[in-house]
Amino acid sequence: MSELATLQDKEDTRRHRLLALPAILIMIALGLIPLMIVVVYSLMAPGEYGGVVPKFSLEAYVSLIFQRDMFDDTLTFSPAYLEIYLRTAIFGVVTTVLCVLVGFPTAYFMATRPADKRNIWVLLLTIPFWSNLLVRTIAVMFIIRDEGLINTILLDLGVIDHPITLLYTNFAILLGLVYSFLPFMVLPIYASLEKFDFRLAEAGFDLYANRFQVLTQIIIPLAKPGIVTGSILVFVPAFGAYVTPLLLGGGSHLMIGDLIALQFGSSRNWPLGSAFSIVLMVIVMLALLFQLRRSGQVKHG
Amino acid sequence: MSNIASSQTAKGGSVSILSVLKDFGNFRAVNDVSIEIRPNEFFTLLGPSGCGKTTLLRMLAGFEAPTDGKILLDGSDISMLPPNRRPINTVFQNYALFPHMTVAENIGFGLKMLGKSAAEISATVKEMLRLVRLEDAGNRSVTQLSGGQQQRIALARALAPKPKLLLLDEPLSALDLKLRKSMQIELKRLQQETEITFIFVTHDQEEALTMSDRIAVMNGGKVLQIGSAHDIYEHPADRFVAGFIGETNFLEGELTASAGGAGTVNLRCGVTVEALTAKSVASSGSVTIVVRPEQLEMVDPGSPQSVDATVEQIVYFGTDRHVHARLGDGTALTIRQQNRPGMREGLAEGQKIGVAIPPRVAQILKD
Amino acid sequence: MASFASTGKIDIKRQTGFGFIAVACLVALYLPILVVLVFSFNNAMSIGASWQGFSLRWYVTLMKNQGFFDSAILSIVVAVAATVMSTILGTMAALATTRVKRWRGQGATMLIITSPLIVPEIVSAVSLLAFFSFIAQAFGISFGILKIVLAHTSFCIPFAYLPIKARLEGMDVTLENAAADLYADRWKTFRYVTLPLLLPGISSGAALAFIVSFDDFTITQLIAGPGETTLPLFIWSRIRNIVTPELNAMCTVLLLVSIAFIILSFVLTKKKQD
Repeated sequence: MSELATLQDKEDTRRHRLLALPAILIMIALGLIPLMIVVVYSLMAPGEYGGVVPKFSLEAYVSLIFQRDMFDDTLTFSPAYLEIYLRTAIFGVVTTVLCVLVGFPTAYFMATRPADKRNIWVLLLTIPFWSNLLVRTIAVMFIIRDEGLINTILLDLGVIDHPITLLYTNFAILLGLVYSFLPFMVLPIYASLEKFDFRLAEAGFDLYANRFQVLTQIIIPLAKPGIVTGSILVFVPAFGAYVTPLLLGGGSHLMIGDLIALQFGSSRNWPLGSAFSIVLMVIVMLALLFQLRRSGQVKHG
Repeated sequence: MSNIASSQTAKGGSVSILSVLKDFGNFRAVNDVSIEIRPNEFFTLLGPSGCGKTTLLRMLAGFEAPTDGKILLDGSDISMLPPNRRPINTVFQNYALFPHMTVAENIGFGLKMLGKSAAEISATVKEMLRLVRLEDAGNRSVTQLSGGQQQRIALARALAPKPKLLLLDEPLSALDLKLRKSMQIELKRLQQETEITFIFVTHDQEEALTMSDRIAVMNGGKVLQIGSAHDIYEHPADRFVAGFIGETNFLEGELTASAGGAGTVNLRCGVTVEALTAKSVASSGSVTIVVRPEQLEMVDPGSPQSVDATVEQIVYFGTDRHVHARLGDGTALTIRQQNRPGMREGLAEGQKIGVAIPPRVAQILKD
Repeated sequence: MASFASTGKIDIKRQTGFGFIAVACLVALYLPILVVLVFSFNNAMSIGASWQGFSLRWYVTLMKNQGFFDSAILSIVVAVAATVMSTILGTMAALATTRVKRWRGQGATMLIITSPLIVPEIVSAVSLLAFFSFIAQAFGISFGILKIVLAHTSFCIPFAYLPIKARLEGMDVTLENAAADLYADRWKTFRYVTLPLLLPGISSGAALAFIVSFDDFTITQLIAGPGETTLPLFIWSRIRNIVTPELNAMCTVLLLVSIAFIILSFVLTKKKQD
């Protein structure tokens, strides 16, 4: 009879595998295989009108770091692409930090509202969370243009006598990134704070902690899983941002996402674009691993 | 359907649990259990949590397959049947009422699955609602019901297909004390009216004693004793059963002679008592006797056939009081006295008293 | 130090300034959207002009815009197709990976199903571009708008999968046990108990899948062929050459569609897990 039970388990497992199969196949066909193709393309030579020429070449990776002289083939160190990676990383990290600084107090405030008001707050943050990124970015553009809301108001008030250039600057990109991904930070932090048992805070006060100490010693450590999740949700899309810098940076302040699209578009250097993509993926994966290990430590500690 | 579930001639079924074993990995949840349950019996599986009673119930229902052994219903082996092909229904601990269905839809669900006609279903649902005294609740949503009402609907739902066997998994544990008391009487009534065999799982000894025809006391996956409430309370088979059911005093001693179901025990505290013997006890040697607090008598210190003790604490219970006393050799004893007018007044903590054990009330256990 | 509020109780939850930040955060998130919305009613010829009075003229202009209609219809067709497919596949996958005896490969399955959430969109976009162009080159197969539907299905699956899985996790197994106990076989248990109870999760997942597909820009832009213009692509193509508030009107329409689905999904998720 134990054999019967085992048989039943095997039958169930077979059924579950079969049930998951269609989704797995779609994800393999349209996720994994395309990614493999990009890996392969990054190791080939560019075709004249886009695409690749099927022969092995490390040129794409070499040109990440070096510039090849057109005449004598010598390699000279060229940090141009590395600088874009660095800029992108700085944008990603700064965006994440700013989102934590603004997002944590917001999430905390939401979590401490009465239950009925909490639902309204969550809905109000859910709407921009899912709203169209392109439209939201266009909206930011309207606000910070020379003729936009900010400059108009400042001009009308007489604070300035000619518009300050906000659009097409690093500031514009950063603003756009924070604006785009802030809800991605608030909601996970809120989710972990909502479950927070405020009797723990009472215990903290009882044991002579002041408000600030209760916050830093008790509440923030316990909200860490939410902060980590939020950071991942902000960092990954900020690091791979494409629309935001394109619209708000005006093509002059590239991030790596735009550089990749450029290689697959007008530059027609697919291997280089592929190599950029692979490096981007590796960095994102490393960041994820790092964050997951840290959140793992929170659980065990 | 060649389905046992569809044959509904007999009312209560008989169950034979034959050497059933259940392992979860390395853990043996049910260890070689054999029980014969008679038709139309109110049978209770009683034991502390983790004793294997719920696992045994789940094997009867068909949610777990035994690792070894067999379960027979009216003589035919059902161990391999899935739950939907057993003429057995369950009242779940949390009731498990379908929240997206009305009361009537819940009660009619089993009959619908059995392919009964709409007319038959609606008639049975009415009958069941009458049976559990909730005639007007049919169209209500189950989420609007109180705990006690949900309990009744869960019962009605399980009884509606007229199973041969009804399993009840601690169904009263979520109710408050008063409701629990009235549901105990209600359950007993339902069982007698429907003539269905009930198997009831509980960890509450009082509940078990009140309702059951017979009780199986379980611990550590094993059945320790099967018997009527009286048997189990008055003649516990071992120390665990004695301790688990009701409050008990244990006293150590030497069995010197035994004959005709009774024996003479020289207690370590100095008195000799005549106590009842279980069959399996040897004729001599060191034994433990159990004596219930209400069986002990409080007498003047120094009285013959009594042992001196010091009162340590008196706990007042309304209808009775418990006197916690300690013997000279350090053994603690509890004596229960009914409160009545003219009862010995002025008992104080620290006072010396005598405790007498009447003959042929204490029970000798195997050590 | 904790201070006594007017109620005479210490409000241990209060942190100075947090309320201000929260409200500022909300204002900042909504201000740009509101500006777009309000100025879509501006009776002005130019997008940069100041407020000239209320008018519906740009919505009237939009109604006559064939390009807008065509792209909106394409967006809806793609989103509906991707939603149906991803919701069915996501439901199946959620059933296969939740509340079941762990099977070998289950972890990997969950990882691959949720992978679109951790792969940067631009990487997905170029890899799908490379994939479809490779297929076109190697086998001479051109998918047309089917490739957009397929791509959307793949990245919508996790958005459908996760709410359904969450709903399943919160579901009491004893309800299904009770159904089996009451003579329901495996299929009937699913049909009468599991599915009805899962429905809010499925609808919520479907609504999210619809939004994600309807809103997608990056991936669609890279893989779409000529003439395959979805609504976000149409708006994109007009950013630089439309300078009238018609652009605001378009953006408003797109926003309102997604907001409607967000609220739908939100209400469905909040519906008590009873």
